[in-house]
Amino acid sequence: MKKSFTRRDFLKITASVPLTHLVSRAFGNKVSPYQTSKNLPSTKVVLIRDPEALDQQKKPRDAVIQKMMDEAIMKLLDEKDPREAWQKIIKPDDIVGIKTNVWSYIPTTSAVEQAIWQRIREVGVPQSNISIDDRGVRRNPVFQKATALINARPARTHHWAGMGSCIKNYIMFTPRPSAYHGDSCADLARIWFEYNLKDKTRLNILVMLTPLFHGIGPHHYSEKYTWPYCGLIMGTDPVAVDSTGLRIIEAKRKEYFGEKRPLQPPAKHIFLAEKRHHLGVADPSRIELIKLGWLEGSLI
Amino acid sequence: MKRITYGAIILILVFSIGVKGKMINDKVEQKNFMRHLVPSSFENWQVTEEKFYDPQTIFDYIDGAGEVYRAYNFQLLLSRAFHGPSNLKIFVDLFDMGSGANAFGVFTHDREGEKLAIGQGAVYKGGLLSFWKGRFFVSIFAEVENQLTKNAILNLGQMIAAQIKETSPLPELIHRLPPSSLIEDKIHYFSHHLILNYHYFVADENILELNNQTEAVLAFYQFNKEKTVLLGIRYPHEKKALLAQQRFRAQYLPEVSDQREKEIAIQTENNLWTATSQKKNLLVIVFDAPSKEKAFVLINKFFHPKEKRRG
Repeated sequence: MKKSFTRRDFLKITASVPLTHLVSRAFGNKVSPYQTSKNLPSTKVVLIRDPEALDQQKKPRDAVIQKMMDEAIMKLLDEKDPREAWQKIIKPDDIVGIKTNVWSYIPTTSAVEQAIWQRIREVGVPQSNISIDDRGVRRNPVFQKATALINARPARTHHWAGMGSCIKNYIMFTPRPSAYHGDSCADLARIWFEYNLKDKTRLNILVMLTPLFHGIGPHHYSEKYTWPYCGLIMGTDPVAVDSTGLRIIEAKRKEYFGEKRPLQPPAKHIFLAEKRHHLGVADPSRIELIKLGWLEGSLI
Repeated sequence: MKRITYGAIILILVFSIGVKGKMINDKVEQKNFMRHLVPSSFENWQVTEEKFYDPQTIFDYIDGAGEVYRAYNFQLLLSRAFHGPSNLKIFVDLFDMGSGANAFGVFTHDREGEKLAIGQGAVYKGGLLSFWKGRFFVSIFAEVENQLTKNAILNLGQMIAAQIKETSPLPELIHRLPPSSLIEDKIHYFSHHLILNYHYFVADENILELNNQTEAVLAFYQFNKEKTVLLGIRYPHEKKALLAQQRFRAQYLPEVSDQREKEIAIQTENNLWTATSQKKNLLVIVFDAPSKEKAFVLINKFFHPKEKRRG
């Protein structure tokens, strides 16, 4: 049975629009509240997995990560050589910020950071024009002058946003991150426009090596709710990358809990990044998902 | 005139230094008291790190979720890391929430897990024990969950609970909840609209005007397939409750013709009923009731509770 659309649903997606308009429009005139979305073109996302990505201590193996990233970027940008693929998105005179994530329980990992660094250096960008940073990006001179950004972070459930994602990874560019926590971080995509980050971002990498699919306690973490997925999701569209990661997290929750267990709170910032902010494509039907490598247990 | 002005400045300075000095002393005492509640070693476990965090520094320690503790007005957090056999680690977070109501409230934020008799209410799941007692909320967490860490967590929890001598009564609003069909694990107590929206989204804006002066309880009832939600709020005075109800009606129930009515029920688009009533400084809203009558039964029982809850 199709679930009816309630006024709470409306209030969730329509901040500052008077409810009277919506009630009459949606229930009287049968107008979909989603029609405001621009028709964005479809987008490509690559999911690559390798069962050898992690060692016995669940630490990433540098060489395997580099290989996975190379294969994924070649497929994403239709190139036969990883260096040529990187040359498509980074020029030697670019100043490049690699926006990482240092969350202590599941960081981006140095294996991923170094794999990116290595290829950017090979494009010809001098070492002094590359920086890896997370919480210090606002004070970092390379990030302050950056002409290009690579956005890499781990996938995990998040207390306020539902899911910690590539879209959310840019919250550290704002002076007061907690200002975005209202309404489940609904408007995180706004950061990408307000801080001129959208056009600078050349690649998004959602690290799915050991994703967290359920969070508990003050630290929102338990190893029990992680699993060795051994994957990376890469794309130029952060919304499509996040939307794909979200489907995997949701599928894992269903598998683990034995029933559909929606994220608390829902990761609506991903859906709203398309519908409200037009940052990219969240709708899976318009995402061309290319799966490479290990397919068993891919959950998507 | 000048002399009087200088005199006033000197007096203010002396007073300020005195107040600041007292605050520093109070803080030192508070820290020492909290240290005394958590042992520095037990069994084969030793403290290897200790830090304090306040509402300004909590984000250095707990990512975005620190906002939850700030929403409950936490005062100070003592964090201690224990090292044990096989290089295993356990982390204790002892929060001084300033009041029993806040400690209970933050405990109700996440009640998932196995219920245990530690402190005044405890749950355990996935290597994490959470409990509250008096004005303290305690979280004990193992990086790796196994039988060894589970036993250590539970033993340490019992020790800390025993050291906390104070207890606090449940907030009065909790006793007002009608007990029949109530889902016990789904009672949330709070005063911040961020927390309301986390558990049950009402609106982006703080249309119910929740703040540090208000207290609220959110409870879920299982009458049939759909869950019915009761939200009860106590305002500092009647006028505030009335204004909040008017704002809620205007934004959430705009089809109500007479906005002066104090008791309203509307059948919403999901065929369930939303009803609201205000009496003195209390405002009650019932969402998704199976019938108008059922909604008002809940509301009236909330206004006129008969049984006092245990616990």
